[in-house]
Amino acid sequence: MGQFIISVGREYGSGGHEIATRLAEKFNIPLYDRNMLDQMAERNGIDAEDLHKHEEMKRQGLTRTVRGHSSSVQDNIAQLQFDFIRQKAESGESFVVVGRCSENVLRDHPGLISIFVRGDEAAKTERICRLYRLNKLEAKAKMYRHDKKRKAYHNYYSKMKWGDSRGYDFCVNSSLMGVEATADALYKMLSDFLKSKEQ
Amino acid sequence: MFAEIMAIVIFVMMFVLIVWDRYPKHIVTLGCGALTSIFVFGVGMRSFEAFYNTLAISGIFKSSFWYAAGESAEQTSGVNWATIIFLWGMMVMVEGMAEAGFFDWLCLKIAKLAHYEPTRIFVAFMILSAVLAMFIDSITVILFLAAVTIRLARTLKFNPVPVIMAEIFCANLGGSATMCGDPPNIIIGTSLGYSFADFVLNTGAIGALSLVIIILYFYFTMRNRLQDSADKVDAGAIDVEVKIDNMKEFLISTIIFLIAVALLVTHAMTGLTVAFIGTFIAAITLITSGKKALKLLKRVDYFTLLFFIGLFIVVGGLEETGVLVVIAEFIAKVSGGNAHLMIAIILWVSAIASAFIDNIPFSATMIPVIRTLAATTGVDLSTMAWTLAIGTDIGGSMTPIGASANVVGISTAGKEGYPISWATYCKELVPGTIIVLVVSMISIFVRYL
Repeated sequence: MGQFIISVGREYGSGGHEIATRLAEKFNIPLYDRNMLDQMAERNGIDAEDLHKHEEMKRQGLTRTVRGHSSSVQDNIAQLQFDFIRQKAESGESFVVVGRCSENVLRDHPGLISIFVRGDEAAKTERICRLYRLNKLEAKAKMYRHDKKRKAYHNYYSKMKWGDSRGYDFCVNSSLMGVEATADALYKMLSDFLKSKEQ
Repeated sequence: MFAEIMAIVIFVMMFVLIVWDRYPKHIVTLGCGALTSIFVFGVGMRSFEAFYNTLAISGIFKSSFWYAAGESAEQTSGVNWATIIFLWGMMVMVEGMAEAGFFDWLCLKIAKLAHYEPTRIFVAFMILSAVLAMFIDSITVILFLAAVTIRLARTLKFNPVPVIMAEIFCANLGGSATMCGDPPNIIIGTSLGYSFADFVLNTGAIGALSLVIIILYFYFTMRNRLQDSADKVDAGAIDVEVKIDNMKEFLISTIIFLIAVALLVTHAMTGLTVAFIGTFIAAITLITSGKKALKLLKRVDYFTLLFFIGLFIVVGGLEETGVLVVIAEFIAKVSGGNAHLMIAIILWVSAIASAFIDNIPFSATMIPVIRTLAATTGVDLSTMAWTLAIGTDIGGSMTPIGASANVVGISTAGKEGYPISWATYCKELVPGTIIVLVVSMISIFVRYL
């Protein structure tokens, strides 16, 4: 099988990350999410949290750009991750990448398959309540906060809008079949697609 | 009245758009320049002459633009073509030097001479940053210095963040020492007719004193955070290659750089203007670069030059309508004619403004203001010029957005996984900036008033 890269965009609580993890396991390829910054932190001998607190965020506060260089920490961390994704893609490796505008960064890459996972509000709320032991109100607030942040981040650094079906190859509602079944269905579909592409 | 109001509205709008950082700066200033031409010079003043004066194109064709015996002012108002042409020439030269590997070689050579000892590298790079920034734009200095610092930090296992921040500060400080070190200085020098030597003897002297103090300050406040003793690397085991790929290109670029320095240092004696020096240096760089000439020309940052043109038109609108005279009269009134207070106001207002807004439009705006102040209050113009240069150059170090070098240093570090937030930056550099400003203010009071 030739190189393929699965990018997974997701709504908070939709189980997009879990689906990405399952796809990586089933295809036996690496998964890149926030762990891409862990490697950099280890290399630089700094606390990974110093990098994580700025990731997947749109630039904030007073910033300035000079000849393509930005004073914004968020811009620089985003660029760092985009460069990481590009380098991995150029190395010929197949992998799954979660968020980080990856479908935009690799939009011209022939091996890219982009997925966006959404969910029904009730199902997402229930999942967040269960995972984080929150009440419904807190879960909804958390969901709203994270989605707002992700949307702002994505729309700032990408050509297409976050969750707009025109920006992805597949858009799926994980609430219909559940996270596990959705991951299985996507795996089957992608396997068939990759086999047919091979032939 | 309409022209004055429009000039102010367009000027404020330009500043807001620059700080907002949503659109490219050259688009903002050129757009605002076009609005100034239409609404201030056209609709408001109905004066083609004011527009023509602001464009100042005819000046380029006068022999005094290229060769001026004595120290006459080269430009009084409008688009400062001398600044633009000089910056273009220096950009071409710097591109030639970068292509030849000059900066990488110099940084690594100095690190080797410092025996790859982090504290020594820290001090040596602060001095190198200040010295290079005296002649080369601080963006280029920091671009190379920060990249080499990170490379060395990974090999020698030290924390590059304090080093990069100290380099940024020293680049801004070094830039304040000469006429060509920082764009505000070249604008001040060409607008008010000061020479390279004038700057060295005045802002340079204050800068040298400040550099000694700031190196001691950074050394004592940062040295313990550079490296854990457990991370110490044996210098003998370091394998950093210090080599020059193309010796011919390297030697040519070094000679051109030395010619540029010699021409700048002696320009008051030779009568050659900075516009001539910029053009000459660019010409010999391009001629000697052969087939690479087109590549060097393409790499020049034309957007910055366009930014300058738009900016000068907007400031020209304020000048032609007399708005800047009102500001000058206000400063004179507030200070009550007290020279000490006036100098303190210029220094601190320039510094604080430059910490948040681009110091280039600020200094371009302030030049007609200090010229009027000198004429109406009797305070020596040169004293105010040095104060303005120091205030705008040093004040820019205070925040991550204050100067171009800060942005480039922060960006280079951030992209390599060393984030520098506003809090981290300000915690380290605000006290240093205040120290240098206080030292500068005392120096100006003692020496000139």
